[in-house]
Amino acid sequence: MFPWLSVIVLLPLVASVVIPFLSEKDGGKQIKWFTLVVSLVDFLLMVAAFYLYYDPTNPGMQLVERYVWIPQIGLEWSVGVDGLAMPLLLLTGFITTLAVLASWPVTLRPKFFFFLMLAMLTGMAGVFLVQDMILFFLFWELELIPVYLLLAIWGGYGRLYAATKFILYTALSSLFILAVALALYFQAGTFNMVELSNQVYPFELQILCFIGLFIAYAVKLPVFPFHTWLPDAHGEATAPVHMLLAGILLKMGGYALIRMNVGFFPDATQYFAPVLIGLGIINIIYAALTSFAQGNLKRKIAYSSISHMGFVLIGIGSLTEIGMSGAMLQMVSHGLIGASLFFLVGATYDRTHTLILKRMGGIAQKMPRIFAMFTACSFASLALPGMSGFVAELMIFVGMATSDAYSTEFKTVVVLLAAIGVILTPIYLLSMLREIFYTKINHEFIHEEDLIDAEPREVFVIAALLVPIFGIGLYPKLTTDLYDATTTALVQTNRARLEPNAQQTTPWRLVYSPNYPNKPEQVSQKP
Amino acid sequence: MELAYQLAWLIPLYPLLAATIVGLGLVFFKEGMARQRVFAAGLSIGLIGVALLHSLVIAAGAFVAHLKPFTWTAVWAQAGTFTLSMGYVVDNLAALMLVIVTSVAFLVMIYSHGYMDHDPSYVRFFAYLSLFSSSMLGLVISPNLVQVYIFWELVGMCSYLLIGFWFYKKGAADACQKAFVVNRVGDFGLLLGILGLFAITQSFEFNTIAEVLRERLTAGEIFGGALTVTILSILVFLGPMSKSAQFPLHVWLPDAMEGPTPISALIHAATMVAAGVFLTARMFPVFVGSPETMGFIAWIGGITAVVGATIALTQMDIKKGLAYSTMSQLGYMILAMGLGAYGAGLFHLMTHAFFKAMLFLGSGSVIHSMEGAVPAKYAQDMRAMGGLRKFMPITSATFFIGCLAISGIPPLSGFWSKDEILAAAYLAGVEGNTSAILLYLMAAATAFMTAFYMFRMYFMTFEGEFRGNKPEVLAGMDQADAQGMPIFAYPQGASFGPGAMHTAELDHGQDGHDDHGHGGHDFHEPHESTWAMTLPLVVLAVPSVLIGFVGLPWANLFEESIHPPEEFVAHGEHVFELNEFLLVAGVSTALSVIGIALAYYLYRLNPGLPAQLAAKVQPLYQFSLRKWYMDDLYEVLFVQGSRTVAKAALTNDQKVVDGVVNASGFATIFAGEGLKYLESGRAQFYTLIVFSSVVVLVWLLGLL
Repeated sequence: MFPWLSVIVLLPLVASVVIPFLSEKDGGKQIKWFTLVVSLVDFLLMVAAFYLYYDPTNPGMQLVERYVWIPQIGLEWSVGVDGLAMPLLLLTGFITTLAVLASWPVTLRPKFFFFLMLAMLTGMAGVFLVQDMILFFLFWELELIPVYLLLAIWGGYGRLYAATKFILYTALSSLFILAVALALYFQAGTFNMVELSNQVYPFELQILCFIGLFIAYAVKLPVFPFHTWLPDAHGEATAPVHMLLAGILLKMGGYALIRMNVGFFPDATQYFAPVLIGLGIINIIYAALTSFAQGNLKRKIAYSSISHMGFVLIGIGSLTEIGMSGAMLQMVSHGLIGASLFFLVGATYDRTHTLILKRMGGIAQKMPRIFAMFTACSFASLALPGMSGFVAELMIFVGMATSDAYSTEFKTVVVLLAAIGVILTPIYLLSMLREIFYTKINHEFIHEEDLIDAEPREVFVIAALLVPIFGIGLYPKLTTDLYDATTTALVQTNRARLEPNAQQTTPWRLVYSPNYPNKPEQVSQKP
Repeated sequence: MELAYQLAWLIPLYPLLAATIVGLGLVFFKEGMARQRVFAAGLSIGLIGVALLHSLVIAAGAFVAHLKPFTWTAVWAQAGTFTLSMGYVVDNLAALMLVIVTSVAFLVMIYSHGYMDHDPSYVRFFAYLSLFSSSMLGLVISPNLVQVYIFWELVGMCSYLLIGFWFYKKGAADACQKAFVVNRVGDFGLLLGILGLFAITQSFEFNTIAEVLRERLTAGEIFGGALTVTILSILVFLGPMSKSAQFPLHVWLPDAMEGPTPISALIHAATMVAAGVFLTARMFPVFVGSPETMGFIAWIGGITAVVGATIALTQMDIKKGLAYSTMSQLGYMILAMGLGAYGAGLFHLMTHAFFKAMLFLGSGSVIHSMEGAVPAKYAQDMRAMGGLRKFMPITSATFFIGCLAISGIPPLSGFWSKDEILAAAYLAGVEGNTSAILLYLMAAATAFMTAFYMFRMYFMTFEGEFRGNKPEVLAGMDQADAQGMPIFAYPQGASFGPGAMHTAELDHGQDGHDDHGHGGHDFHEPHESTWAMTLPLVVLAVPSVLIGFVGLPWANLFEESIHPPEEFVAHGEHVFELNEFLLVAGVSTALSVIGIALAYYLYRLNPGLPAQLAAKVQPLYQFSLRKWYMDDLYEVLFVQGSRTVAKAALTNDQKVVDGVVNASGFATIFAGEGLKYLESGRAQFYTLIVFSSVVVLVWLLGLL
């Protein structure tokens, strides 16, 4: 069979060798079109592979390719896709294509910029597709370098600080991935993720490996208190990089958390699930508060991303099918919404030349299109029904409220605290809209002649993002069906594999429901 | 007619189609679309007209042909064994709401054609109106709580967009955010309540929840027992409390008057704010199961009725006055629900929708006319009005009818519906419910105040002489506002009230400038509005007068069709008794007449007296004028409080969290100033760190 996935991963990197030979005339028009075509072709390949060969009812790995690469150390080139990877892969292709379109105004060193964009596409697609721990680690690291350079060269005033902080946080934390990969190799004798997920590990090893991997992915997601690189990086990045950071890179953390932490270590997952939930609540409330106080537009949205990622943790921690499904949907949804908001922030900055909210005001009069799009995307972000964010958050809420793993008291407290986010989110997002768009133009800092309304390219990018946002919001089954088989199987397998009463050893054992884990037959009897 | 039932899903889609076409047109061809006024208005009005006809057919099916309720659902979201369905339900309650919403929306859209004529955003206004109508219609045909929540939020968003319609006004910018956030507080409760009920009953359907809840409660299977049910019911009720502006979540509604007046009539008087009453009706089977919840609901309704009425007594802004009146009337409806008088609450919802929409549209007609006659900042101030009856006969006549209807003067519609609520409270009291006696007294006092403030409004606006062209009046208003005592004895034609002379003289001296300023503008006399605005007023006057006859206490057609599902009726059929009717109706009518007479005495015969009275009871007057100080309290408690907490969180994030993580991560290697040196970007150095760390980690893990 045609090696779909290998081609999808490698095409952008291979194609990027053409870029040095293209002309930089007209601000690099040739390069931009070339990059756009390559990313679009890559996206279409993803769609084709998905449409032709992907079976959503099959919970296992599909389109698997395995080639022995370096047999001496057991390294394999192995790629495959299942319900966890497929939606995020499609998201990657989609957002990257739009990000290339969003990079049209880039004129500084276009060859290097667009080369890095393609390299990133390879890195990101690889992270979602590879099935070998070492390969995963390599792709994880590979995608850091373009981000570092994109931040350090094309960023704002504090770009070097931000870029360095980013690379230190993520590079240092990702060492844990390598360490855990090696530890598991000594235990199981393989780097292959599918084989690793079928193993049973000693409890202590599970706990240690869970902690190690969690630190790596907590930095990426990000999870309090490992999140502080993100406002800095997001505060300095340009719009297209922003879209990739918020749209895809954060999802790598959530993806890996589900794939490895949950997939490999059922007992440790159950052991740490209340911790995940606790951190998720802190993310939601704490980041919403900091976002509210933030006077810098980019940082405000960055904190809002952190807040939204808290729901992913709660969904995973709920230990239910619906919660896990909601966590996946929240990642896809936030990928679209985050990318759209950051794109609009970039578009607004191009006109106002300031990111300080106090210096803005009243620009709706001159830019009704940007106003309308910004309002729509903000409402998507505050989980307005009819848009994707609402469905995802609702599923997570329902998953948590109906979870049979926890005591009623614990569930009540968690749902109550997480729901506070429902009040806080509109406060900071609507305040933001008010400060940017409402009242009269702030002539002291804003020049009216710069306020040109959105051009067709910008309207297209936002329209392209809003279509799936509305699509998922109006009929979520279209998306949940993509991965439901996989997430359901994952949760149910984990439940079946649990050691009975293992949770009784945790210091926080009170939060669990006394008769968890139920036997699977009891679960199916539920009305 | 069965077909009309089955096709009921089309009803929200008609206006949605209009909203989509006009909205997309605006995004893609801004100026081009903004000029297509006839097209946008025609499409919106035409499609809501179709929805109105469709609703009327459904209503005929429900109330004449007595068709069975029709429900259709399909799986909307799924995960494992969990499924969530969406669809639509058409029953008598839905049919009633459909007719109310489409008819008021239809008339408001025609009215808007006249009212928004001078506005450059005319087309955008119609797009929003259609979007709102669509969401509201979707809400009333929702078959389960999640779908209600969805449309609940969507009408909230439309309300946000429409309050902030004039986004360049600061007042509008603040008000729309306040409305959304306060409503989110209620939605927070609603969401928690829905989740809690689902966790117990595994269902989102109204009746299933009630049944399962009752079974499991009797079986003793619910954690926490009846207390849990009460808490969850009250959480759900938080949603209606914020949407229907119930105390203490009412603070957004008066501010929402910053939006264009047609919006105030449609959203903030007739339909959206009534959604809370509608949801209470839908959840009635659940609420009835918990007497504590019913008591809570009744008290919230009673308190809201009184609070709204007391504040309305002193408002000078005609729309603010009507807004507090709306709040007070919504309190009546909620009170009825809490007393178990399901039919009475919904009956008042219907009559109120018509006469309050008419009153708001009438106030809009007045404001529209005043805008040409006085400087913009006085256009809504009743002190600058007066004598408008001569200029605007249709508006004043319909407004007068509205005032009679809301005051409960027989045989207008408001009399019958309000009387039923009062009777319900009275009966409950007679039957031994002591708190119902108090509630009855509160409701009766509210009826008195209602008649007073409505006729105060009528006399100040339409009777006497026009004051907007008198510079001394406008100057006096400015001065009175500056002193925090907006009430002042304005001159009434030749008869200057006692105490008025002083103010008037004083103002004359300062007023040279102002006078000149006014003269510079091209102000003309107030005038009657165009047909597009007066026609809806006249049409709405018909139900305001007549609709009450469907709910005569001795032949109640309304309650025959609109009642809670049989098994959840709170108490048995009540038999009509003439004496009791005469007693309750007599008392309430007498109170209303006294209220009207008092208003006539104070605002027609002795116009100087109100100011003197206000000065005598200064603290009480200020208490009413400052809205029971609720806004000031919330400002300190919630607005500034949340800002302080948020600031603290951000400072903590930048100083503590960032600092600790940076320090703990790099302190050993870089002695605190690591980042500075690392900016050199030497790759070999990173490699060294990476490599050595891996070695250490692998070694550590190998020890296991």
